[in-house]
Amino acid sequence: MLETKNVTIKFGGLTAVNNVTMQVRPGKITALIGPNGAGKTTLFNCISGVYTPNSGEVILDGQHLEGKMGYKINAAGIARTYQVINLFWNMTVLENVLVGMHSRLKANFWDSLFNTKKKRQEEKAIVEKAHEWLKFVGLDEYANDRAGSLSYGKQRLLEIVRGLASEPKVILLDEPAAGMNTTEKAELDSLLQQILSMGYTILVVEHDMKLIMNISDYIYVLCQGSLLAEGTPEEIQNNPEVIAAYLGGDE
Amino acid sequence: MNNSILKKKVPLGILIAVLLIAVPFLIQLVFGTEYGVMIACIILIYTIAVSGLDLLFGYSGQISMGHAAFFVIGAYTSGLLNNYFNIPLWLTIPAGALLSCGLGALLAWPASKLKFHFLSLATIAFGEIVYYFLYVSPGGFTGDYLGISVVTIPFLGGSYTRWYFFLLFFTVIALVLKHFLVHSRTGRAFQAIRENTHAANGMGVNVRKNKIIAFAVSAFYTGFAGAVYVHLLRYIAPSTGQQKQSVLFLTMLLFGGTASMVGPIIGVVIIEILLELIRPLQEYQMLLYGILLLIVIVALPGGIYGGIKDLIVSIKRKKAAKQLTKK
Repeated sequence: MLETKNVTIKFGGLTAVNNVTMQVRPGKITALIGPNGAGKTTLFNCISGVYTPNSGEVILDGQHLEGKMGYKINAAGIARTYQVINLFWNMTVLENVLVGMHSRLKANFWDSLFNTKKKRQEEKAIVEKAHEWLKFVGLDEYANDRAGSLSYGKQRLLEIVRGLASEPKVILLDEPAAGMNTTEKAELDSLLQQILSMGYTILVVEHDMKLIMNISDYIYVLCQGSLLAEGTPEEIQNNPEVIAAYLGGDE
Repeated sequence: MNNSILKKKVPLGILIAVLLIAVPFLIQLVFGTEYGVMIACIILIYTIAVSGLDLLFGYSGQISMGHAAFFVIGAYTSGLLNNYFNIPLWLTIPAGALLSCGLGALLAWPASKLKFHFLSLATIAFGEIVYYFLYVSPGGFTGDYLGISVVTIPFLGGSYTRWYFFLLFFTVIALVLKHFLVHSRTGRAFQAIRENTHAANGMGVNVRKNKIIAFAVSAFYTGFAGAVYVHLLRYIAPSTGQQKQSVLFLTMLLFGGTASMVGPIIGVVIIEILLELIRPLQEYQMLLYGILLLIVIVALPGGIYGGIKDLIVSIKRKKAAKQLTKK
């Protein structure tokens, strides 16, 4: 499964992520939490190829990923969502999901250009598949709308399903609940459980403690770039260092 | 439901086909000369060129301010190969398109790393380099500022009506291939890059490779258009590769509407006819482009085609709203 070994990322004199080692458990939800600026998203960006770690390794099923381009990491089996929603705004909802499948498609440039039988068959199959994905998150009725016209909560769902469309070994969710109301958060909770039951593995960064404690199987706590604690939700909730980091000091 | 779409679309397709076939005869009937048919031929050629630019700029979001360079590369390659080596035109025309395609890929290799403003500067520079190379070439093999005279395609002879059908055939092929490409894995990758390069990369799109493909295909289209253009006019000079021509292509695209099948066609038809109408006032061409671009930027961000689409949507909405109030 996915693991990082002693990953360190520096920006000039600032060490954003310091010597972090963690393992994502297959078929489970692993969470990464920590106060603002703890380096959670930086670590995410490092796993998904936006940044190259200064030292350390990122390994997926024995395959080294550190320093690879983002598209290769996606092909290797890691999909992600973004803290700030990064959809393809002027493409339709359906097309967004189809782009998500990009690295799994076999039709090359010449198949595309000359509309070969191979391409036509593949297109037919993936459009069906994409509709299924949209039904899964309840967005199928918007399939032909512009992605930019969706409401905020629906955009988050589309981003998740776009990531799932590549059938990744691990999906990284960067603050999926940000900006969601209580109802939407409850829906997200059950959606994540459904995704798990389909056999996917999730690594999630989230600020909403209630949600995190509910959904995760194992939690890593980052503080100022370093790993502060790890354990099950119960262990983390009762860890004095974690409480101190979140509530500030223990005078 | 599928049947009703078929019933609607098939007669429309037949109507368009009949109209397109009738164009040269109608023009001669109305104006009594073949000159208008030549304008129709140029419209077809520009449609291919601007559709190519649309694949690059409209779909993959990369600007080219030097696209006329690909046009003249296609034109000169075909013309010179035939003039110097007597190679038949059915070989030199594809050769012109292919050389243009290759140089497009070569330009894109470094240029794919550049963002908007810097890409426009790089493509302007490329256009200027090609222009000056043709203007003062080593040993004057391009005819320098005088340009070159070339032969017409033999079996088309001097008949613009025959030329029209020849070009119509290739324009249809170009548009069909564009349609296939846009609605495919590659076309979606182009659009994803235009929308959000960062996310495209994260979704498994090899951004650099697809940018290079977009440049190469675009240059092939425009190069092919240039290669047939030169034999239609039987003459070409470096001035066709000037910045002015690149701006013309961009104006046609933006005015008609980007990222669509009909946008480039609308833009080419309207602007080419306007240019013919103001031919006596040729010095004011750039002024016309300026005004048209201003209209697009201020009033019609999606070009004419985008404007029409918005209009249809708002009419549909009003109808739906009316029905609601009736209920």
